[in-house]
Amino acid sequence: MNIVLRLAWRNLWRHARRTWLTIGAMVFSNTLLVFMISFQFSMYGLMIDNTLQVFSGHMQVQAPGYKDDQKMRQVVLDVQPLAERLRGELDSETIAARGWAFGLASSEERSYGIGIYGVEPEFEGNVSNIPGLIKDGQYLGKSDAMDIVIGGMLARNLRVGVGDELTLLGSGLDGSFAAAVVTIVGVFESGVKEIDRNIAEMPLGAFQEVFYMEGAGHQVVVLAPTLNDAPLVERRIAATLPDNLVVHDWVALQPGLKQAIQADMSSAFFMYGILVILVAFSVLNTQLMSVLERTHEFGVVMALGMRPGRLGRLVMLETTLMGLIGFLLGAAVGALLTYWFSVNGLSYPGMEEMAANFNLPGRVYPQVSLLKTLFGPAVVFLFTLLAAVYPALRLRRLHPVEAMRTI
Amino acid sequence: MRMLPVLIRLAWRYLWRNHRRTIVMLSAISIGAWAMIFMTALTRGMVDQMITDGISVLPGHVQLHNPEYLDDPSITNRVSLTEAELETRYADAGFEAWASRVRVPAVITSERESRGVTLLGIDPIAERDFSFVDYDKVDGRFLESPDDSGVVIGAKLADTLDTEVGKRIVLMSQDPDNEIADRGFRVVGLFHANMETYEDTYAFIGKKTAQKMLRIGDTTTEVVFFGNDYRNVEPTYEKVAAAVDDSMRVSRWTEVDTYLGTMLSVMDGFMLIWVVVIFLALSFGLVNTLVMAVFERVREIGLMLALGMKPASILGQIIIESMMLLAVGLLIGDALAWLTVKPLESGIDISVVAKGMEMFGASSVLYPKLHMDDVILSNVVVLILGFLASLSPAWRASRYEPVEAITKV
Amino acid sequence: MTAVRCVDICKTYRQGDQDIKALDHLSIDIEKGDFVCLMSPSGGGKTTLLNAIGGLDIPDSGEVWVAEQRIDQMSKGQLADLRLANVGFVFQAYNLIPVLTAQENVEFVMQVQGVPAKERRSKSLAILEEVGLRDLEDRRPAEMSGGQQQRVAVARAIVSRPELVLADEPTANLDSRTSDELMELFTELNKNHSTTFVIATHDQRVQRYAKRLVRMRDGRIVDDIEQDAA
Ligand SMILES: Nc1ncnc2c1ncn2[C@@H]1O[C@H](COP(=O)(O)OP(=O)(O)OP(=O)(O)O)[C@@H](O)[C@H]1O
Ligand SMILES: [Mg+2]
Repeated sequence: MNIVLRLAWRNLWRHARRTWLTIGAMVFSNTLLVFMISFQFSMYGLMIDNTLQVFSGHMQVQAPGYKDDQKMRQVVLDVQPLAERLRGELDSETIAARGWAFGLASSEERSYGIGIYGVEPEFEGNVSNIPGLIKDGQYLGKSDAMDIVIGGMLARNLRVGVGDELTLLGSGLDGSFAAAVVTIVGVFESGVKEIDRNIAEMPLGAFQEVFYMEGAGHQVVVLAPTLNDAPLVERRIAATLPDNLVVHDWVALQPGLKQAIQADMSSAFFMYGILVILVAFSVLNTQLMSVLERTHEFGVVMALGMRPGRLGRLVMLETTLMGLIGFLLGAAVGALLTYWFSVNGLSYPGMEEMAANFNLPGRVYPQVSLLKTLFGPAVVFLFTLLAAVYPALRLRRLHPVEAMRTI
Repeated sequence: MRMLPVLIRLAWRYLWRNHRRTIVMLSAISIGAWAMIFMTALTRGMVDQMITDGISVLPGHVQLHNPEYLDDPSITNRVSLTEAELETRYADAGFEAWASRVRVPAVITSERESRGVTLLGIDPIAERDFSFVDYDKVDGRFLESPDDSGVVIGAKLADTLDTEVGKRIVLMSQDPDNEIADRGFRVVGLFHANMETYEDTYAFIGKKTAQKMLRIGDTTTEVVFFGNDYRNVEPTYEKVAAAVDDSMRVSRWTEVDTYLGTMLSVMDGFMLIWVVVIFLALSFGLVNTLVMAVFERVREIGLMLALGMKPASILGQIIIESMMLLAVGLLIGDALAWLTVKPLESGIDISVVAKGMEMFGASSVLYPKLHMDDVILSNVVVLILGFLASLSPAWRASRYEPVEAITKV
Repeated sequence: MTAVRCVDICKTYRQGDQDIKALDHLSIDIEKGDFVCLMSPSGGGKTTLLNAIGGLDIPDSGEVWVAEQRIDQMSKGQLADLRLANVGFVFQAYNLIPVLTAQENVEFVMQVQGVPAKERRSKSLAILEEVGLRDLEDRRPAEMSGGQQQRVAVARAIVSRPELVLADEPTANLDSRTSDELMELFTELNKNHSTTFVIATHDQRVQRYAKRLVRMRDGRIVDDIEQDAA
């Protein structure tokens, strides 16, 4: 081992307790950072995936303005052929056409206003998880049957079940009165109140008939292979669209999602920042002590001809060694902790109620990843080095004679 | 006890003997304390706002319903007491405010569009003080009496429906016999709310008008009550519950809106965790400082012991020193927090993430709030934990043998 | 009446693989009002003996009596009380508490004893006057010379008029004039209050003031003579 390195290492353990306490501060913060960051980003991933997979998909083709106003007449003409064409051009099955209308659904006893989607039964399952959530009966089949699937809570409120009939009242594309009697073939439970209470789906063909859509719909939903592929797919679709249609990505479709993540991230990073600063102060404190208490000693070696710059480097080297131990231990403990939760899952009291608002399950399994493990400890390490700069620079102001006089 | 002044003086002097170290430590404690309180004030402000908003939309600290109504909010599940009967039971009970109202799902139709809404039949005068709508900021006018014949809807909904003040819309719901109950209304006002969803969801009409339209005579679907503190609703709850039998269901707001209810306890828990985490991050430095402070005055400790000072006094001296360090740091931190929160109390605009905040159920203006309770809690937690953390170094200091300590170089 | 009685005390220190007998079956009686001077070459065991008498250090074997009480079996708390009430100390080095001023250092013992503030102040100022430090009462140890510090330590040891004063090289850092003044002060206290003094020293001048000279070597008493004090 290099002599300077060995010197630095020995110096570090002159006050073993102090060094360990300082490393303890690093390990504590690093562990927390690794775990929190892994947990947080796992949550974001889940939030995005779960929210987008319910309905909105990664992107949608719509008429301009529909996203904000959701008006009946802001239509995509010939929606099914468009979807068909995109499926062919992109060689992808995860593309489906939809129509949407508001209507009054009445059973024998009750009436509720609901949102009715017209969907392509054979493709809807590729872009939305609702078809997979049927708890009772089955999902839609033929494209023009007068069938409907509804949310579980809506079924309870309307006091109906599979096989019962519902009367739908609404207005058609041309503003005329639209009415139909449909048969409930399935009931789904998504776990999200808003959806289970307010949503129904029927085959697009039947939907277009009931609401006089004349082949039109309101959206073509596209799910890219992964979230990361979405921008590329979006560009390819945008290039083929006529002027009277636009494609919106998920951020535009679900502005709340991205903003909720941003809001959450900024408060989280404020907290992380504070932790890092507190660790930096801990290091500053220790290194300042270690420099001050060696004033006499430093005076002697300077009198013997050692340059202050080299002493400064020695102090920085000591800090680096200490920081490295903190980095490695913290990252390891943090990763282990995260790993444990990735197997056993994490939940806290109240999480279930809170999580439902963000389409999250009541138990989360954070994933261990190299980047998320190293990020926090790396920042702590950087600040550790920064904190040692002041004590190291103080050495330059040291006068050998004065230094030797202090005990 | 009589040692206290000596110990305090010694502790204070020792604190400033190594002033650089003390200043570094003080800065750390101050920043930690500031962060605790600042963060707490932000979340407290947010949660307060969320809950106040939430409660004004519910509305009420305590609600009275038909037992079926919460699961099945239908016109058939009404409060079985007439308004006159409610009046005799609750008029003189001393609530901050209370009101009976009609709330049913309905469909609103303009010339061009239809949407689902929650139809609210209210007495605008009784609800003025707790309504989430500021009557004075309504475009057009708000309802004026229970038999007002107009409707007030959200500005956002008006956009979607392509309608405006003065135009007509149709509201459609069902009567208790499942017959369609509908009526045309003139839009008299458009309200604005903190959150877009509210503007999308609610349509206000007069309570009498609603009762007539829905053919429910002198009955309502909910009665709402306000006490003076949303954290302590028990007195209100008991007063309401005492006056009715089992055929009615009385619920606290935490039960009606479980999200908000859990929010409150989760936030309280979160803040305690945050305070403890910060403390722990500080504790390493604190213990370190104390260990060093003891280490560099071993001889002096030996001297004091030799002169007849009791080990307990040495223990006390170190603990007092630690408490002083924490107290001064906390004081500076508290002051910093006060200085930074006060100017922000008029509200921080975070409308860049408005839609995101709406997902949390919070509005786009954050009003940080410095609650005395929170400040005291964080200070006390730090002092108590700090006391515990200093026990070990202080104990070690008091265990020195005087001779060994004195001769130690 | 005996102020101090040591019976057959031993104290052994281990240094590496070597046993050093700092006190080797030492016995001594010191009467109240005596003025004893301990002398030995460096390392002879003076400091160890003083520590044993002061209850700072417990001998490995033998008995130590101070003020008619057996102290080698006392608890730490009892020892502290005994020192506080009966014994004044002047140590060989590092005598003062660095964060306190001269006056505060002098008051320290009285404060621990619970003497009221007014009395403390007047007594401490008077004693500082006596040791010639009247103008330095507000200085901290770091701002005083070694001799001045030593005098503050002496002032602290005698200010509460203890029955027994144990001093380890009290004149080590003093010039001859101040040494004489200090010894005169000791002699006076010894005469007027019959305070017992046990002083370890190399200083020839100090020996002149002693009523009894005890010479030690390797932890044993080799010579013990009464003499007429100067
Ligand atoms: N803590 C200790 N550990 C080991 N040896 C010790 C210790 N204290 C004293 N000694 C040894 O015991 C012997 C007696 O020491 P003591 O301090 O009593 O001598 P002294 O007569 O006071 O000497 P001086 O005149 O130099 O002050 C010496 O040999 C010394 O080295
Ligand atoms: Mg000695």
